[in-house]
Amino acid sequence: MLTRDELERYDRQIMIRGIGEAGQEKLKQAKVVIAGGGGLGSPASIYLAAAGIGTIRVVDHDKVELSNLNRQILHWDRDVGKRKVDSSVEKLSQLNPWVKIESVAETISQDNISSLVAGFDAIVDAMDNLPTRYLLNKAAIDNNIPFFHGAVYGLEGRAMTVIPGKTACLRCVYHGLPPEEKFPVIGVTPAVIGCIQATEVIKYIVGIGKLLANRLLVYDGLNMKFAEFTVKREPNCEHCGHLGEGQ
Amino acid sequence: MSVKINIPSYLQPYTNDTAVIEVNGSTLDECLNHLVEQCPDIRNKLFDKEGKLHDYVSIYLDGQFIYADELSKPAKDGDEFHLFYILGGG
Repeated sequence: MLTRDELERYDRQIMIRGIGEAGQEKLKQAKVVIAGGGGLGSPASIYLAAAGIGTIRVVDHDKVELSNLNRQILHWDRDVGKRKVDSSVEKLSQLNPWVKIESVAETISQDNISSLVAGFDAIVDAMDNLPTRYLLNKAAIDNNIPFFHGAVYGLEGRAMTVIPGKTACLRCVYHGLPPEEKFPVIGVTPAVIGCIQATEVIKYIVGIGKLLANRLLVYDGLNMKFAEFTVKREPNCEHCGHLGEGQ
Repeated sequence: MSVKINIPSYLQPYTNDTAVIEVNGSTLDECLNHLVEQCPDIRNKLFDKEGKLHDYVSIYLDGQFIYADELSKPAKDGDEFHLFYILGGG
């Protein structure tokens, strides 16, 4: 049940048609994993914490570097050298002390992925590499947890929401690995995409609106355009094909 | 017949900084080949040494995702394709 302080804190969003006190209670009860505390993970976690998601788990094994600071807005100049999860917990807890922030300073791997996401209601894909994104996608499918994908390059970004067994998953659409490179990015791009991911998580938990399900949203910041592309489940998808149609 | 292929910003260095290339072809395969004829530098970015489309390249026809085995589908006048790489950055 929401306290009087919570009713006041979240007053403006409780006013939104479709959220209300019942929706806010759902947000309070929700548990969200944010895989990556960097460019995407910063805005996603900030807005999910501000919205009152009950439990947020940030997973990141990195330490803050100077070159992160143009985009990873959870981390400030004074944080260089700190573990990103520590910097994240500090800021998010100050932003909203009523939200439980958990930190896991581990590299996401085949061995620990299931334990990292078990019992959670949503996974935010805020990684900076494709192999781990594929691991997360598979874990989301295997554990039947919705998966909120986002990715950026320069001034371009993408977002897509995966509901296991019902919509196309990341693997239905993406295969292979492009040559590894240091990717260019400016903070405003992951800011846009991370906020879209957070919006999708909130909508999913509250149960309102139309998700980016079977829809790949492409953001072109250079020309300030959004485009939408229809994706579809691949019957033989190695991650979700075994779930069959319409499960 | 004219088909448009939209080139993402990260591949435009290989198309003389052109965002939309007009091509001809009766299938998507042929359209891609015509793209490469006009912009040879993009060949290695789209195809491997055997001429197979890299598996990390995604193609959309009029907003719909196309599987790699659908490249022989007919293309028609006015069709618009988008080419994308998988993005991993975050």
